Amino acid sequence: MSINTEALPKQPEVTAPAATAIPDVTPKEWIPRIVGFACNWCTYAGADLAGLSRLHYPPTVRLIRVPCSGRTNPQFIIRAFQRGADGVLVAGCHPGDCHYSTGNYFTRRRFLLMQRLLEYMGMDPRRFQARWISGSEGPKFQQVVTQMSEDIKALGPNRKMRDAE
Amino acid sequence: MITEQMRAIAKDLLEKGEVGTVIGWEKGTFWYNSTPLFISKPEQVDKLVFDEFCANNLAKYLLDFKLAETKTAVFVKGCDARAVNRLLQDNQVSRDKVYLIGIPCPGMKEAPKTAQPQDIAGLPLLTKCKMCATPNPVLFDVMVGDPVPDKKVADRFAAVEALEGKSADEKYAYWGKMFEKCIRCYACRNVCPACNCRECCFDANGLNWLGKQNNLPETQMFSMTRAMHVAGRCIECGECERVCPMGLPIMEINRKVIKDLNELFGPYDAGMNLDDRPPLGTYKLDDPEKFM
Amino acid sequence: MKAIAKAKLNTLLDAIAKESNLLVPVSGDGTSKFAPYTQGAQLSFDGRTLLPPKDVFFPQTEKMYKFKTNGMNASVETALEAPRLQVLFGIRPCDAKSIHCLDHVFLTKGYVDEFYKAKKDATLIVSIGCNGPAQPTCFCKSMGVNPQEAEGVDVHLYDLGTDYGVVAKTEKGEKLFLDKYASFFTETTAQVPALADFPLEVNVDGITEKLEKMFDHPLWEEVAKKCLGCGACTYLCPTCHCFDISARVAGDQGFRFRCWDSCMFSEYTRMSAGNPRPSKKERVRNRMLHKLQYFKERYGDLLCTGCGRCLSKCPVNMDITKIIKQVREADLA
Repeated sequence: MSINTEALPKQPEVTAPAATAIPDVTPKEWIPRIVGFACNWCTYAGADLAGLSRLHYPPTVRLIRVPCSGRTNPQFIIRAFQRGADGVLVAGCHPGDCHYSTGNYFTRRRFLLMQRLLEYMGMDPRRFQARWISGSEGPKFQQVVTQMSEDIKALGPNRKMRDAE
Repeated sequence: MITEQMRAIAKDLLEKGEVGTVIGWEKGTFWYNSTPLFISKPEQVDKLVFDEFCANNLAKYLLDFKLAETKTAVFVKGCDARAVNRLLQDNQVSRDKVYLIGIPCPGMKEAPKTAQPQDIAGLPLLTKCKMCATPNPVLFDVMVGDPVPDKKVADRFAAVEALEGKSADEKYAYWGKMFEKCIRCYACRNVCPACNCRECCFDANGLNWLGKQNNLPETQMFSMTRAMHVAGRCIECGECERVCPMGLPIMEINRKVIKDLNELFGPYDAGMNLDDRPPLGTYKLDDPEKFM
Repeated sequence: MKAIAKAKLNTLLDAIAKESNLLVPVSGDGTSKFAPYTQGAQLSFDGRTLLPPKDVFFPQTEKMYKFKTNGMNASVETALEAPRLQVLFGIRPCDAKSIHCLDHVFLTKGYVDEFYKAKKDATLIVSIGCNGPAQPTCFCKSMGVNPQEAEGVDVHLYDLGTDYGVVAKTEKGEKLFLDKYASFFTETTAQVPALADFPLEVNVDGITEKLEKMFDHPLWEEVAKKCLGCGACTYLCPTCHCFDISARVAGDQGFRFRCWDSCMFSEYTRMSAGNPRPSKKERVRNRMLHKLQYFKERYGDLLCTGCGRCLSKCPVNMDITKIIKQVREADLA
C-alpha cells in the first residue's frame, strides 16, 4: 500500500468531545442517515485515523466494514435505501492500492454504472457516492462525509424506494 | 423451404447418432403459436417447423442438457446464437457438446389473438425483432437457408434517451407505475439466457435477498438487481419483455445499462464474439472516474 | 326478467360506487384487472380480465399479525381489518367457478380462514355471462362451466345483446342489488342468445381416474421439457391458491404476512433435507395432478375453470388442454 504523504494529517488538534462540538445538530433537527460501505484495508483505516486524529464530521454515517469495496454488492445499496438510508457511500482504496490488487477496478466500473441506473430509476444520483479514501486520508474521510451530509441535508429525507415499514 | 431442410438435417443427425436431442420448434395450440420442441428419434422430425412465430430463444434449454452424455443440437436464430455465445463464455455449456444449426431470421411476427388464421405477411414484427441488429447467427456449425440482409435498426436507445430527459420525479413515477404491475412470476428471469446461475439469489429466500411481499420496494429491488446482474451480459434478445405477462418495458432498463456501458467503457455487444470479456468482468487502468 | 341497457350501466355503477366500495374490471397499461371504480376509468366488459379476481379475497400479500417485544414482554396484534362492504362487479362464469373452488379451500373441511371469510362475507358478487369465447384460449365449457350461467354469485347478468338481463341468485343479491337499485331496471322478455362455438375444446371425462395411475408415467418428463419454471401460469390462474407465510422483522417489532407462492418455483418445496420436487418434471406433474386429480378427490371439483389465462400468457405455450389430451391418450403399459 503506497502512502500519500501529502495527505497525511498535520499535527492533529485536540478538540472538545463531539457532543458539544457540533452544536448545530439538535435532536429535533432531521439528521441524514448515510450508510457507508468501507473497505477494510483503506477507508476503514482512514475513518479510524479521522477518529484518532479527533477530526470532526457529522454523526450521519454508519460504516459497514467490507473486505474490499468490490465486495459491495449492488443489492446492498438498494437494500440500504429500502430500509431507510438517505444516502449510501461506497469507499475503498485508490486504484492501484487494492489489497487484492484489482478489486477496486471492478468497483469503479460497477458503481459508475449503478449510479447512472439509480438516476434512471428516479433517484437523485447525489444520494449514492463512491470515493477513494486511503488509510492515511483521515481528513479526506472527514471532508467526504461532511460534504455528503450537507448535500443530502439539502436534498432532504429520501422517500424513494423506501419500504413502508 | 427452411422447414424441410431443418427436418432433413435433424433426421440425419439423429439417424447417425451424432446428437441425442434436437431442440427446435413445433406448432402450438393456435396458428399463431410455435413452441419449443425436443426430439430424440428420427421419426419425430416431421413435427419440426420454422415459421413467423418461432420467437422462443432456444439457447437457454441447453442448460437442461449440459450433463447429457450425447451432443445436443439446437436451432439458432441470430439472437439464439448470441445467447449460445454467452452460455459458452460463462462456461455453462461446452462447445463440443452442442451442435448449432443456424437459421437466418427474417424477424418474428406479432399475431392478433384470434382463432381464425390471418394473412401472415401483413402482421407486424415483434418489438424485439424490430430492434434486432443480428438476424444472422454469429455462431453455427451448419446454416440452413441464405443469410438475410442486415436490417436498418430503428434507434434502439430512443426510448431510453426520451426517459433520461425527464425529471427525477417523472422517472420515478414512470417506473413506479410499471413495477407496481409486476406480479413477480420471474418469467423474465427464467427465459433469460444471461440468467444462468445454478441458484438465483431470489430463490435463496432464507438469505433474504428479496422479501416475498409483493410491493413496490421489493419489485424495484428485483428489477434493479436483475438489471445489474445481466449488465454486460444481456444479448438484447428481448425475450424478457416478450414473455412478461404484465407487459413491462424491461428492455428499457437493459438498454439503458447497455448504453451506459458503451459510453463509459467502449462499445460492447454481448454474445457477438466469444473472446471479448464482458465489461463488468474486466477493467482498464484508465477507466473513467467521474464521481469517485 | 329485469334488465338494464348496457349504455346505462355507468349510471348504475355510479350509484353503487356512492354507497359501497365497487370493484370493476378495468383495463389499461397492457393489463386488465379488478380495481376500484372511478369515473372515467376504462372499463373492460368484453371478456375476462388478465388478472383473476382471486386477489379480492386472497391478496398477493396480506398481513396476518403484528408483534412487538418490550423487554421480557411481547404483544401480538391481529392485522385482520374490519371488512368493508364491497361489490365485485363483472366477474365471468369461469371466475365465479374459481371462487367456488377457493371457498372449498378456505372455508370447508374443518378450517375456516378468517382473512378470506371476512372479505368474502362482505362482498356482493355480480357476474356477467358470456355468449361465446371472449378469447380463443377460452375453454370453460369443456371444464363443466356454463359460460352463460354462474354459480356461487349473488347476482347474475345475462348478456342479451344491447341489454343485460338481471337475476338475483341469493337473498343478499335480491335485497342489496335488485331491490336497492330497482329504479335502474326495466322488464324484458328477451331470451339469452345461443352459445357460440368454442375453438378450443377438451374432453376431461375420466381424467382423474386415469391420472391416479400415472404418477410415474414418462409423459411428465416429456411435457415438462419446455417449461421454464416461471410462475406466470400460477399467478394468473384464478384457482391457484398456494401461499407462503413469512415475516418481516425490524428491531423489536415486525409482522407476519402471507403471500402467493408458486409450485413452479424451485424453492417451493425445499426443506432442510432437500427438495422432494427437484426438477421441473416433478413440479409440472404436481401442478397438473393438483388441478386434475388431488383437488377433485378432496373437494369433488376440478381445479381448472377453463379461463385460458395460463395458456394465453405462457412464454412457451404450455397448453393444459394439450396435456389433458396427452394424458387421455397415454399408454398405461
